Amino acid sequence: MLTETKTINRPDTTAVVAAPSRLLGNYLNKPAQFLAILLQFALIAVIIDNWHLESQVLARLMWLAVVGFAIHHLLPQRFRLPFFALLSLVAVVTGVGHIGPNVWMGWLSGRISSSGLLYHFFPGLTLVAIGLGLIGLCHLPIRFAARVGLVAAAGAGLAFLRGHSQWFPDIADMWVVLGSMFMFRLIVYLYDLQHRTAPFSFSRAVSYFFLLPNVCFPLFPVVDYKTFCSTYYNEDWVPIYQNGIRWMIRGVAQLLLYRIVYQYAPLDVSTLSSSLDAVGFMLGTYLLYLRVSGTFHLIVGLLHMFGFNLPETHHLYYLATSFTDFWRRINIYWKDFVMKLFFYPTHFKLRKMGTIPALAVATMVTFLATWLLHSWQWFWILGKPLFNWKDFSFWMILAVLVLVTAIYETTRGRKRTLRPSRVTIRTRLMYGLQAGGTFCAMCLLWTYWSCQSWSEFETLMDAASKPSWSDVLVILGVFALVCGGGMLWGQSSRETSEGKRTTAARGPFPFWRSAVAVTVGSLCLLAGPSLATRTIPATKGAIARLHDDVLNARDMNQQRRGYYEDLDVSRKDNWGWQNAEEPEGWDKGKKAFVRPRSDFLLTDVVPSMNTVLAGAPCTSNSLGMRDREYQKAKPANTYRIVLLGASNDMGTGVKNDQTYENRVEDKLNAHLPDARYSQYEILNLAVRADSILQRVLRLEQEGFQYQPDAAILSVSAVDEQFIASHLRKALMQGIEPTGDYGDVVQSVIRRARVNGKMPAVMIERRLQPYVTELWAWSFRRFAQQCAQHGIRPVVMYRPAPADFAGLEATGRSKTLQLARAAGLEVMDLSPAFDAVTDRSSLILAKWDDHTTALGHRLLAEELYKDLLALLFSSSSQQKISPQPKP
Amino acid sequence: MNEQEIKSALKTYILNEFLPGEDPAALTDATPLMTTGILDSIAVLKVVTFLENEFSITVEPHEAVVDNLNTISDIARLVIAKKT
Repeated sequence: MLTETKTINRPDTTAVVAAPSRLLGNYLNKPAQFLAILLQFALIAVIIDNWHLESQVLARLMWLAVVGFAIHHLLPQRFRLPFFALLSLVAVVTGVGHIGPNVWMGWLSGRISSSGLLYHFFPGLTLVAIGLGLIGLCHLPIRFAARVGLVAAAGAGLAFLRGHSQWFPDIADMWVVLGSMFMFRLIVYLYDLQHRTAPFSFSRAVSYFFLLPNVCFPLFPVVDYKTFCSTYYNEDWVPIYQNGIRWMIRGVAQLLLYRIVYQYAPLDVSTLSSSLDAVGFMLGTYLLYLRVSGTFHLIVGLLHMFGFNLPETHHLYYLATSFTDFWRRINIYWKDFVMKLFFYPTHFKLRKMGTIPALAVATMVTFLATWLLHSWQWFWILGKPLFNWKDFSFWMILAVLVLVTAIYETTRGRKRTLRPSRVTIRTRLMYGLQAGGTFCAMCLLWTYWSCQSWSEFETLMDAASKPSWSDVLVILGVFALVCGGGMLWGQSSRETSEGKRTTAARGPFPFWRSAVAVTVGSLCLLAGPSLATRTIPATKGAIARLHDDVLNARDMNQQRRGYYEDLDVSRKDNWGWQNAEEPEGWDKGKKAFVRPRSDFLLTDVVPSMNTVLAGAPCTSNSLGMRDREYQKAKPANTYRIVLLGASNDMGTGVKNDQTYENRVEDKLNAHLPDARYSQYEILNLAVRADSILQRVLRLEQEGFQYQPDAAILSVSAVDEQFIASHLRKALMQGIEPTGDYGDVVQSVIRRARVNGKMPAVMIERRLQPYVTELWAWSFRRFAQQCAQHGIRPVVMYRPAPADFAGLEATGRSKTLQLARAAGLEVMDLSPAFDAVTDRSSLILAKWDDHTTALGHRLLAEELYKDLLALLFSSSSQQKISPQPKP
Repeated sequence: MNEQEIKSALKTYILNEFLPGEDPAALTDATPLMTTGILDSIAVLKVVTFLENEFSITVEPHEAVVDNLNTISDIARLVIAKKT
């Protein structure tokens, strides 16, 4: 059974090793060291909470781990592993069930019933039960092959249920964590069980599979069972814990770097405007991997705090000096896992073929297995297999590159040395150049892998094709930086997942130096943002963008444009992996509420529709507006305004009476600011994702028939992006605008050299330089058409509820300038949100930046004020048409 | 072959194959080889082939691990265990 094997012939590595001569000094020093470690650990937990790193579950887990660490350390040695196993189970149950302080407070205050509380435990307990069942299968007293067969059958059954997780909505959150815990570790566990290379016990098994941090991370390093056992307190606890702290702080630093890259790198192919942008895209895409290495460092660091002295998971992989070196440095645990399971067994079987043929076959088998297991992993995360040619070709190209380098190393030999002092300047130069070359090649390959489609890759190459001299200089500068890094650190050796260098080889451990550095660094990370915003107010936006875990400009833009529905489902999957996934049914009415048209307007609102948009009920009237019912003909003594806009103006995510235009309409009717009118109507013609061309055309085709007195054209800083996607959709659907619209659009299409057969992203990228021209034309057209129909044209600048992308200032100034240049009156609602310090409170959710009800109320107050001043003040009334139309 | 002879043969092989020009005194019986990257996966395969040919033993895939191959002493211990 679980304790069946005790065959390792090694000294007991669980004993704490301490030289007798040091014991007296340690007696005084150790409590201080423990307190210093506890302080650092708590500071890291505060940083994770304060910077919103990863998820809320992680922040809660960190506090659980800090408290658990203190108890764990104070326990006698024999109780520590069972305690860790228990703590891990608690983390799993509370993490999967989202049981936080709110749930407990709700239960204590009576808001949540006892059965409701127990319901929260259900997914976690189910996971634990399944997990214990799987462990039990591994230890059944039957033939080993039969046990493997049973585990495989159970795995297949669970995979089937994972693929149909909608059958069990109550435990839907459990599957990803279950997969992450068992999909690879079961294989390692069975391998070590077969070869009896490590001790087995119930506590060890539970600790190994339900590893404490696992509940927060779908991507988890494949910890080797033998290493997990053999490194448990294999040296004094001080360096183990302090190394854990160092790994965690390194992980935090990498996650923050990832956030900078995610927010600031030009990651939207459709907006790349130069070769430099294209290189920035490639670099950014490659650097996004920092998130994986950052979380792995954090995970391994956390495990150190409970005595698992595991080796590093990544080692300066951006400075690898060859493809084999890259393979050895990036995700070292994975490399060792596939080497152990596939490479060595295949090579050993085929070695009679000769070294090179055996090496070639074993390498290809290893990478093929990596591809399949990668797909298997994504199946557990996404619920559907990820099989595509791009994925396959990436792994096969990497396999060939690694194989070629491996054969070269086998035949020519790799430079190795026992003493770093033997490395000469010439050798360092070679390392630098090799690191630069490997970095460039991997960056390109990684970009190919990450691009959502071949057309996106093609568009990228299109953008990169005409570099200017300044672009070339900057690119060479980046290359030189990588080469410099390679010269300095390209030769540094890494640890394998099977063990670390011996203590003797590492030299004395500088505990206090490390503790002071971590503490100071942590305090800087905590105090830095508020100090920076107080001393340099201009940094407020940038700090907020980095400090809050929000979607970057690309993901927000693509969400606004409905990109995920129209173009690409796979990116949405990546987006979901960013923990920004919208809940089931959030936007279930998106497709039902808007229907396609066959003309240049492309879409309109379905009349008399009742559905849910962004989590809120949404109703359209019989005229096809997201609004109340109105008569088509304007009633007598009525002042009628038509509103032209997009989803925020339509009121996506708020109830019917909460939209800013309905609030303003109510207020106007309550106060009746102009004695000549007994009624005010604002007809909402806004349609989701309408470009400014569509808004003006909608006024011409629909708005004028309602006999409005004024037309409000709502614009915001991010609206420009809708133009390119509007033209792209029209072009790809073969819809040509007519009349003046046809002339201006055809002219742009001709000059941009785009056609409907080109990839979508390339069309949008090539249209970017002409967006401002179309924007200006639309303003002029709006002014001219309103003048012809004798109605008052007004441009309303609507601020974005949150400006995470930092577009507001320049976008606003440019928009207002263009509107005024067209002779239009402008209502600038920018001050509406000035009083709100936390602008993120004005967006619906992390995955949806539409304006909340509070935002609509603030907009309504500002708009009402401006409308009174512009349309109904005594001076302005002269501009209003003298007699209300019947 | 006794343990010293095995270690001597191993040391000569490792110096010639992986550390040409290195001072023989710098390579001791306890010098870590796998955990410092001197023996990577490909080098491990070469060492295994050498062991099998030189000492007429068979090494299994699960034995090609750091516990058995990290130092000259570890390797010698593996060879002796296999031969007995």
